[in-house]
Amino acid sequence: MKLEDPWRPFHQVVGKPLEQARLWKERTGRKVIGHLLPDVPEEILHAAGALPVAIAGAGVQISRSQAHIPGYSCSHAMGALELGLQGDLDLLDGMVIPYVCDTTRNLYHLWNRCFPTKANEFLRLPKRMDYPAASAYLKAEFARLGDSMGKITGETPGREELAAGVALYDKSRARLREAYRRQRAHPELWTSQRVYELFISATRMPREEHLAWMEALPWDDETQGTSERIPVYVRGKVWDPPGILGLFDESGLLVVEDEIVTGFRWVAADAGDSEDPLDALVRRHLSTVPYAGYHLEPSRMVGDFVDRVRKSGAQGVIFLNPKFCEAAGFDTPDFHNALQEAGIPDLILETSSRGVSLGQTKLRVEAFREMLSADLP
Amino acid sequence: MQPIAALKQLKKITVDYFGSAHMAEQNNKKVVYCNVFTPVELLYAMDMFPIYPENHAAIVGARKMSTDVAPAAEGMGYSMDLCSYARCDLGSIKAGISPTWGLPKPDLLLVCNAQCGTLSKWFEVLSRFYQVPMVLIDVPHSGRGERDEAAEKYVRAQLEDLVGILEKMTGRSLDRDRLKESIRLSREASQLWTRMLELGTRRPSPMTVFDQFVAMFPIVSQRGTPVAVEFYGSLIRELEERVAQDIGALDNERFRLFWDNLPIWPELGRLSSFLENRGASLVTSIYTWAWSQLGVSEEDPFGDWVEQYLYTFNLHVDRRIDHYVELAEKYQLDGFLYHSNRSCKYISQDIPEIRNAVTERTGLPGVIIEADHNDPRLYAVESLENQIDNFLDLLGSKKEGAAQGSPGGR
Ligand code: SF4
Ligand code: SF4
Repeated sequence: MKLEDPWRPFHQVVGKPLEQARLWKERTGRKVIGHLLPDVPEEILHAAGALPVAIAGAGVQISRSQAHIPGYSCSHAMGALELGLQGDLDLLDGMVIPYVCDTTRNLYHLWNRCFPTKANEFLRLPKRMDYPAASAYLKAEFARLGDSMGKITGETPGREELAAGVALYDKSRARLREAYRRQRAHPELWTSQRVYELFISATRMPREEHLAWMEALPWDDETQGTSERIPVYVRGKVWDPPGILGLFDESGLLVVEDEIVTGFRWVAADAGDSEDPLDALVRRHLSTVPYAGYHLEPSRMVGDFVDRVRKSGAQGVIFLNPKFCEAAGFDTPDFHNALQEAGIPDLILETSSRGVSLGQTKLRVEAFREMLSADLP
Repeated sequence: MQPIAALKQLKKITVDYFGSAHMAEQNNKKVVYCNVFTPVELLYAMDMFPIYPENHAAIVGARKMSTDVAPAAEGMGYSMDLCSYARCDLGSIKAGISPTWGLPKPDLLLVCNAQCGTLSKWFEVLSRFYQVPMVLIDVPHSGRGERDEAAEKYVRAQLEDLVGILEKMTGRSLDRDRLKESIRLSREASQLWTRMLELGTRRPSPMTVFDQFVAMFPIVSQRGTPVAVEFYGSLIRELEERVAQDIGALDNERFRLFWDNLPIWPELGRLSSFLENRGASLVTSIYTWAWSQLGVSEEDPFGDWVEQYLYTFNLHVDRRIDHYVELAEKYQLDGFLYHSNRSCKYISQDIPEIRNAVTERTGLPGVIIEADHNDPRLYAVESLENQIDNFLDLLGSKKEGAAQGSPGGR
């Protein structure tokens, strides 16, 4: 029997982000471990018998966290802390905060002080993406993460569990990639908002179930869309403000590729088979498009970006730059200039700016669309 | 208050340094931009010329030139939320305005993220601008300072590779004797600097943190040369004489305070007089302590650098709290002034937690003032002064209470 609305369950998970984790925990009695997204290998948490759950701070109304972290911090950090202080994360048995920037480094310190009874872990990611010794280091770090997760769950992941985790997540990524591609051919059915919800919900529930739910989606529906959409490329941290993709849908923009940590970037590379699954995870990490917090030879960072945009077939680029994010703030001007030189228009949106409404963002997005359509041959 | 005579040498030291910097190319020296937690001793051993863009930016701030240059960076697209050192540096290049006739073009950018992540991003911009290579020494900190063997190997490999890069650039091999010499000089400067900071434990303190900020230039820019050693040698002699004669930096030292974070460079003079008029002496600061543990041994400098970058300078919050509690005792502090610095998130985001924990453990009050180390558009100095004034009133009544034997006094 087909579900009436196969998109609905995903939408519901996004609306109540921790509900599935709560049910799973009740059902299984196992541990739920939160993580602050960028590049935490969920496979390792899964292999340790835990349910990894992504915690996203963007869009959270800030109040209590102001007493713990200065207001000139990005909304991802402040929002995540807020969720914890509100008690929304009480369900978590542990938390993995990755080293992406000074803010997450400090957030880890604050997390320990605010939630001292939880098992908190700092994932020490190397910043150098094109340096050979970084991969040996990263492998050791992933192994350490496995041991640390094992201490929380009582099950230190071995080769077999890791390999199973890798296979499951690769399978899920392949499905999500396919969903993402469908946006191009069927943007009315596979809207950006719906695909976004598929992605986000995947980080918040058992992945096996998520895969099963996805089977009910209208994969066979070949109805072609009629509306004309303008392909754009997006670079940024997360889909912020959370309604941004719905806004792109309404404005007739189509995200053909992105570097968002919960977007296409997140599913672009598979880990694949390897004698040692940790090698596979390292390879996946190093072949994922570097987020602004990472380091490559500086002119390559820009050159590769423009190449990626060109290859994607996008007609314009949108930057979603979180306010107070140093990594994005330093990259953007050179990236913007390189796009200008390449004749590719762009729009720089500062997200999570307190006092900027979705309505104002909408105006700017629509103006950008107008500009792009005027540019069309 | 008697000015410290040794500080008069600084003008010449600064002019000579920037003069030589501009002559470096003519003297066949490669110019390397770097930061405090980089192995500058190697650069001297390779006969290269190290320059610290943060230092240049601080001079821009102290000379009240930030507002002449930072807007140029903002015009280039760099948001006002980014570190104001970086904005002043990039803006100074763009606007062609600088108190040091600018900085010579670099041949190499060397940066270590044991400090902040901002510097790497800033140097990436410089690398693209000048089209010169950049080497990042990447230090993956452990979150609570616990040891990490894999990280030690990773950092060490990068440092060892650096030698090869420098050798290739200069066309000469590393001269081990010169390295030993620069290590010795650097360690000596760092030790003298520490001795100077410790003189602040005396009552009255012979110098304030404001004097330390002024005196920083050689330890920042010339650690590893005889200049720094000679300067701090003479400064300490003078300070020790002051101590022998009971001469304090302030005529009337009523309060002994700690300063957290970077200075507010554009307000150095104003805040210094403001505090002096109220008998408040800043006797120690986390910021100036950074240069006190930079000495490495001639036997295993690589091992020592690894140790420093990974562990000594891993400013995790528990370590910082312990350190502040120790300083409270050692310096007989009356309170803590925390500069919550919008521009330096790395060192500022933990402040609310630190303040609460330190007050809880020591009973000493602390006030958080939100400002910026280089950009006067981001704070109102009058409001900072008001907050400090209220804080000093509180300390004053605490002291009175203590004098009258009432509970609550320290
Ligand atoms: S990288 Fe930027 S957005 Fe992400 S946590 Fe750090 S400051 Fe915030
Ligand atoms: S963020 Fe702080 S440590 Fe980093 S360059 Fe700016 S002032 Fe220096």
